[in-house]
Amino acid sequence: MDRQLIARRLPRCPARQFVLWLLPWTALLAFGLYAAGLCLVKGLNQTNMDNRFAFGLWIFLDLTVIALGAGAFFTGFLVYILKLKELSAVIYSAVVIGFVCYSGAVAVLLVDVGQPLRAWFTFWYPNVHSMLTEVTFCITCYLTVLFIEYLPIILKNRKLRQVPSFLVFEFQLHKLIYVLAGAGTFLSFFHQGSLGGLYGVLRGRPFAFREGFAIWPSTFFLFIISAVAVGPAFILLTTWLVSKISQRRLVKPQVLDLLGRISGLLLSVYVLAKTVDTLIWINRTSPGSGFPAWQYYSWNPFGTWILFAEIVVFGLIPALILLIPRLRRRTGWLVSAALMACLGVALNRFVLTVQTLALPTLGFDQFVSYRPSWQETGTFLAVVAYGVLVYSFSFRYLQLFPQERALEAAPAAEAEPVEEEPVLVGRYSL
Amino acid sequence: MIGSLVFLGAFYAVLAVVAATVACAAIRSRRALAAQQVDEIRWHETFHELPPSERQCRHVATGEFRYRECPHAFDCRICETHTRLVARKPLILRDTPQEEIFGMSFPLDRFYHRGHTWVRPEPDGTVTIGLDELGRRVLSSPDRVELPPAGAGLRVNGTAWRVHQRNADVRLLSPVEGQVVEVGGPDWVLRVKPADGCPDLRHLLTPEEVRPWLLREMERLQLALSPAAAPTLADGGVLVDDIAANYPEADWDAVCGELFLQG
Amino acid sequence: MTRYGMSIDIDRCTGCGACMVACAVENNIPPAPEGAGDRKGITWIRVFQVNNGEDGSNRKSAFVPVLCQQCGHETPCVSVCPQQAVRVDPQTGIVGQMPERCLGCRYCMAACPYHARYFNWWDPVWPPGMEKTLNPAVAPRMRGVVEKCNFCHGRWHAAKERAAAQNRREIDPGDYLPACVEACPTGAIRFGDLNDRASVPARDARQDGSFRLLEKLGTDPKIHYHSRQGWVRQIASAPSGKEKARG
Repeated sequence: MDRQLIARRLPRCPARQFVLWLLPWTALLAFGLYAAGLCLVKGLNQTNMDNRFAFGLWIFLDLTVIALGAGAFFTGFLVYILKLKELSAVIYSAVVIGFVCYSGAVAVLLVDVGQPLRAWFTFWYPNVHSMLTEVTFCITCYLTVLFIEYLPIILKNRKLRQVPSFLVFEFQLHKLIYVLAGAGTFLSFFHQGSLGGLYGVLRGRPFAFREGFAIWPSTFFLFIISAVAVGPAFILLTTWLVSKISQRRLVKPQVLDLLGRISGLLLSVYVLAKTVDTLIWINRTSPGSGFPAWQYYSWNPFGTWILFAEIVVFGLIPALILLIPRLRRRTGWLVSAALMACLGVALNRFVLTVQTLALPTLGFDQFVSYRPSWQETGTFLAVVAYGVLVYSFSFRYLQLFPQERALEAAPAAEAEPVEEEPVLVGRYSL
Repeated sequence: MIGSLVFLGAFYAVLAVVAATVACAAIRSRRALAAQQVDEIRWHETFHELPPSERQCRHVATGEFRYRECPHAFDCRICETHTRLVARKPLILRDTPQEEIFGMSFPLDRFYHRGHTWVRPEPDGTVTIGLDELGRRVLSSPDRVELPPAGAGLRVNGTAWRVHQRNADVRLLSPVEGQVVEVGGPDWVLRVKPADGCPDLRHLLTPEEVRPWLLREMERLQLALSPAAAPTLADGGVLVDDIAANYPEADWDAVCGELFLQG
Repeated sequence: MTRYGMSIDIDRCTGCGACMVACAVENNIPPAPEGAGDRKGITWIRVFQVNNGEDGSNRKSAFVPVLCQQCGHETPCVSVCPQQAVRVDPQTGIVGQMPERCLGCRYCMAACPYHARYFNWWDPVWPPGMEKTLNPAVAPRMRGVVEKCNFCHGRWHAAKERAAAQNRREIDPGDYLPACVEACPTGAIRFGDLNDRASVPARDARQDGSFRLLEKLGTDPKIHYHSRQGWVRQIASAPSGKEKARG
C-alpha cells in the first residue's frame, strides 16, 4: 500500500502489520502527553519532586538519554573526520537515534522547568559562569545541527527524492557533512562535559563536588569519556535490536565488532579515570569540605555496593568483555556487554542526580527518598514512545542501513575482496 | 567580561559556521538546478546506493579483474584503467552480425549500455536509441510509456524515457548525451542528435563484451525473479517472451530496479 | 557600604516559631495547598529541632532556625543560575532573587547546601477574605519560580525612603529589621551590619562559641550561630553519619 514510499528492494512488513506495531506506542505517547500536559497546566505539584529533591526522574532521564545519544556525534566524528568508513553502515541510524534522544530530552526539560515560556531568558541574560547556561546553549545548537543532519536522510526517501530541488539540496548538503560533523563534535564535547560539570561545581554538595582543571571539574571530563564510550555501545545495541525486530540483516558483523572494540577501549579508559578520580575524592576533596567519604554510604539503600556496581560490575566487566576478541565474536556476549555498559552510564547519572540530592548536607538534615509520580513516569514513557515511533517511521521509509541491500544481494558473508591488477587471461591475452 | 566574550563568541561562531554551511548548500543547489545537473546527481546517488556486487567494473565480466568496484559510476570515458586496458587489448573483429543468447538476438551493429539500452550510429550523423531484447522481454506489457518531447536534452546516465509496468516505474538510462530529434521509430525509441559531432561511446559495451555481460545479467535476473530458486540457466534453454506473465507474484518494482540500475 | 548579617543564639531559641509566622506574613507566603507536606511547603526561615543523640536523662535538644545564609564567597546559587536571576547586592551584601527572571530550573536549589531555597510548586491562592492579610510592600511570586529569604529587603527600601525624606543618606540602623528579628520573643535572632564592628552580630561573631554552618565549604555565610554547648557546635559540621538506616 505504501510500497511507493519504501525504497526498492528493501523488503518491509505489510502496512497493516506496521500499523499494529505502531498502535501500542501511539497509545503510550498519548498517555504520556496527557501526563505532561497535566504538569504544564496544573504545575509541578503533579510530580513527587520537592524542595529537598529539586531534580528527579526527568533530570536523570535527560542526562542518561543524552549520554546514550552521544553515538550520533561520535560516529559522525569517526566516519566523516577520521574517515573510518566501516562505520558509515550505521551513521544514518546513529543520527536518527541522536535526534530522537536530544529532542526528547529538550521536550522533557521544557516540562521540567517551572516557567517554560521563559526559556529564552538564558539566551538573553546568559550567565557564563554557570554550567547550565553552557548546557542550554550547546544542546539547542546541537539539536539544530542534528536536525540539519537528519534532513538529508529524510530527503533521500524514495518519493521525496523525485523532487529535483530536494535531491540536489540533499546532495550538496551531504558534500559538506564533515563541517556539520565537526561542529557537532565541538558542541557535543562541551555539553557532554558541562552536564558533568553541573554536579562537579556544586560546592554545597560535597558528594558531587570535584576538583579539576581550570574551571572544569573532573566530572566534566569523566562525562565526556563515558559518553563516547557508551555511544558506540548503544548504537550496537539498537542496531542488534532493530535487526531482531525487523528480522533483517542490517550490517556486516565486522561493524558490530568494531563498535564493540571502540566502546571497550574507551570504557577501559573511563574506568581507569573514574577510579583515580574516586580515590582523589575519597582521600582529599571530600574530607576537605568537612565530609568524610565513608559517611555517604552509611545511608540505606546507598551502601558502597553502588560504587562497586558502577565502576566494577557495570564498568570494568563490560570493558573487559568487549576487549576480548573471543567473547566479542559471540553475539550474546557482545550485546550483553553493550547493555551493561549502557546501564553503567545510567547508574552513574543516577548516582549524581538522585543520590546527591538524597544525601543530607546539614548535620540535622535527614536522608530523604523519592519516588516518581505517575505523571512523571508517564512523561518519561512518552519520550520512549516518541523515540520508537520516529525510529520506526525512519526505518520503514528511509534507507538507514546502506549495507542492508548488499547483505540481501550477497548473503554469504565472504571475506572482504581485494582489488587487483588486471589479469590478462582468457581471450584477451596477446 | 573576557569569559563572556569567549563563551558567546565561540557559540555564535559555531552557529555562523552551521548557517553558512546550509546557505552554501542551498546556493550550490540553485546553481546545480540551473545548470541542469539533476540527472547527473540522480545517477550519482543511485549508483552509490547499489550494492558492491552490482557496481562491478565491466572488465570483471571479461575476466581481466576478479573483483573491482567501478570508481567512476560506469562512466568509462574518464577512466584511466579502461583506457589502458583497451589500448593493450587488440580488436577482434567479429564476422557475425549478431549474438544469439538464450533465444534472444543482440545485433552487433550497436553499442550496449549496462542499463539495457543501446545506441546505433546512423548515417546522417544522428544516433538512435532503443531497449535491448532482454529489457523488452522484461517490460513486455507496459501500462504507460512516457517519451521525452522533441528538443529535450539527454545526458549520459540521465533519464532517456520512462516506462510503467505493474508496480514498477522505470527511468531507462540514456546512453548518450544530446538532443532528442524524433521519437517512436519502427525499431528504435529515440533519435538523438549527439552533443559532440562524434560522440564518445567508450563507456558503452563493445560487441565482444556483450556475451559475458549478458550471462551475468541473466543470473541476476533469475535471482531477482525468484530469490529462493537457484539459477537454472546453466543447462541452456530459451528465455520466454513475456517474463512478466510467467512470474505474476514477483515484485516487479524490485526486478526492474535490479535490471535497469534503478537503485 | 553595609554587609548585613545575623547572629543567632541557639541557647536562647525556644522553638516557638514566631519567626516563621512573622516571615510568612511579611513576605506574602501563600497558604499551603492540600498535598503540600513538609517538603513542599515554603518556609523562608525554618526552625529545626536537634538533639545530642543520647537517650533518657542525657538527652538534650535545641532549636536551630535556618534561613538563607547570604553566602558572601563564591555564592553557590549566584554562580549556577543560568540567567542571572540571583545576585549579591553590592550595597547591602544581601543575595537577592528576581522571581520575574527565574526560569524555575531549580539548579540553585540543588546547589544550596543549606536547603534555604523554596520552589512554588503551586499557583499562589489566597482564599476569599485572606487577601486582606497581604503585605502591599512585597510582591507575591508566581507558580514555577524559586524564592528565598532576602532579609526583608522591602523593609530596607522603606527605611531608605524614610531616611531620604529626612535628607539623610544612611539609614538609621534600628530602622531596618527583618520580620523574624522583630518577632523573636527571646531576642535569639539579632541583625546588623557586619562591617560595623560595634554592631551586635559583629560582636557576637567574635565571641567564643560562635560558629557558622558548614564552615569548611567556604561559602562565607553571614549568619553566625552561637552556643555554649559543644554538641550543638558539632552538629553544625557535616553530618557524622551516626544516624544510620534512615530513609
